[in-house]
Amino acid sequence: MGLSKKLMTKLFTNLVRAHHFDELFARRLTRGELIGFYHPAAGHFAPGVAAGSILNKDDFMWPHHRAHGVPHMLSKGVPIEEFLAEHTGKETGCCAGRTSWHWSFPEFGIYGMTGYIGGNFPQMVGYGWAAQRNGNGQVAMSCTGDGSYNNGRAHEAMLMAANWKLPIIFLCENNGWAIHSRIEDMHPTEDIASLALGYDMPSAIVDGQDVFACAEALQEAVKRARAGKGPTLVEAKTVRWREHDIGTPDLDGYRPRTKEELAELHERDPIRIATEQMLDNKTLSQGQIDKVHEDALAECDAAEKFADASAIAEPTVEELRAAVYAD
Amino acid sequence: MVEMTYVDAIKSAITEEMRADDSVFMVGQDIRGAIYPHTKGLVDEFGEDRIVDTPMSEFGMFGTGFGAALAGYRPIVDFMFGSCCMVAGETLMVQLGQQYFLHGSQTPVPMVLMGACGTGKRLANDHAYIPRGEILHRPGLKYVFPSTPADAKGLMASAIRDNNPVFFFYHYDLLMDRGEVPEGQYFVPLGQSEVKREGSDITVLANGLMYKHAMQVAEQLDGEISVEVIDPRSFEPFDSETLMKSLEKTNHLIIVDEDHARCGFAAEVMAQVFEQGFDLLDAPVERLCIENLPIPGGYMEPTVVPTPEKIEAAIRRVVA
Repeated sequence: MGLSKKLMTKLFTNLVRAHHFDELFARRLTRGELIGFYHPAAGHFAPGVAAGSILNKDDFMWPHHRAHGVPHMLSKGVPIEEFLAEHTGKETGCCAGRTSWHWSFPEFGIYGMTGYIGGNFPQMVGYGWAAQRNGNGQVAMSCTGDGSYNNGRAHEAMLMAANWKLPIIFLCENNGWAIHSRIEDMHPTEDIASLALGYDMPSAIVDGQDVFACAEALQEAVKRARAGKGPTLVEAKTVRWREHDIGTPDLDGYRPRTKEELAELHERDPIRIATEQMLDNKTLSQGQIDKVHEDALAECDAAEKFADASAIAEPTVEELRAAVYAD
Repeated sequence: MVEMTYVDAIKSAITEEMRADDSVFMVGQDIRGAIYPHTKGLVDEFGEDRIVDTPMSEFGMFGTGFGAALAGYRPIVDFMFGSCCMVAGETLMVQLGQQYFLHGSQTPVPMVLMGACGTGKRLANDHAYIPRGEILHRPGLKYVFPSTPADAKGLMASAIRDNNPVFFFYHYDLLMDRGEVPEGQYFVPLGQSEVKREGSDITVLANGLMYKHAMQVAEQLDGEISVEVIDPRSFEPFDSETLMKSLEKTNHLIIVDEDHARCGFAAEVMAQVFEQGFDLLDAPVERLCIENLPIPGGYMEPTVVPTPEKIEAAIRRVVA
């Protein structure tokens, strides 16, 4: 394995943090302590952790909507308590409480989002173009699922990124499902990565349950991008243990997903896989691993306290009118 | 002042602003080779880095500007034909206008979205229609449309300097119209209508090719009916004060809008006049718009589009 122990520890720590924050968001939604909806990570968080952990603060990133990008963003250093505050409609929310679930952390190269799957791709070209023109080695990381590659905008973005050799990493976090639709029914090839061939772009397929494998593959892609060699499509094969978003039925087409299938997916637990590796190569002891969990839970607790103590955002309509256009 | 064409005035503003600010760049299809003359020679002066040709990928082309604007650049996205912007409809009509506001008013989106459009060339709906009502309906977007060479220069320069997405559409039946244009940097502030011709009997609010028609009719009626012509120039923000002030004098209004009547700009202005200036009116307001059907090309185009003859007839009806 080519990763330093320091980076492995960072990846493992962020993985554990992502897991606990995911449980926190899911729990709060179920209890009515979160506005709107939540698309739980539940099994699907190693690729995002890897992506966020290896980027610099000034690199551009579009996080995945799964787990609302929490794994990606906390790994990049974003203060997640402000994102939780956004989810609770507070003044301290990252969007001033105006969205319930959009991200906006411009100082981290994260400029907001849209709820339409595939809506990231046009902007990614612009981030890539800006990164190239800035000429300081910045890259742009695009994190979306298999379903987003059904959308024409993905193809325009890959075409233009490949044409212009833009420093973009297309990370496809393929969990095999777009809401109730199996990828086999929606995509003609087994791998999304095979699309890269048509754009003369390198690609890699990686185990999306293994955070270290994801990081290695993404590091290669980032290295190429920083060296001016253009975009890469990295497909991480991951899993989704739960429904698309909490409260909707968990279907395979129009029938419930089977217990057997879900049990099989649970076999591939990213936390267990990473923990075994950390212990096997003696990067961390069991005691140190327990401490990582304790610290993550304490961080979750502090984030909740921050969000709950913040005032509800209740601007006047005059204040809102004045906020539509920039000066 | 120097005399130049409407299209050269657009180019003059782009050139001045690109010289003044290195973060301004243009992205479009076949703009290096200048399919329209407003980009002719720009690539020679500013290089391929700043005059960027894209594949026929409107989402990607628009996204180049959108993403770069968020990252600190000031893009001009050239859709060639104005209505082609609808190819990138979702990103442009939903994401663009909400971007700044929804994300806590933190990161401005300074960009210009331009395209030539309008009737007169008999090209039929897809090339001829002016995207207007649907864009004005979306909060967070600005919208200008010049009628004269001077305004073409001044509005483009202001649009480039604005820190918001500004649609700059221009009329291809006016491209070669000539007029006096200020030299050097010149700005027409967004949100200022202009009284282009003073009169006392009736106000005609008209823009673009319709402005040209209205001016022609006003001259024809000179000595018989005194027609005041106001050019809105900027549709969002829209300056209704200039219009209300005019109505205090004329008490009669016709709105000529090169868009469909239904839910369009003319309907919006009528509503504003009823809300703010009902007591100023001596007669019902008339609006002359494009019929509510897809614009046909060929020889039937004038049948569905406002013409000087229709404008004259409306003026006579309203002041009668």
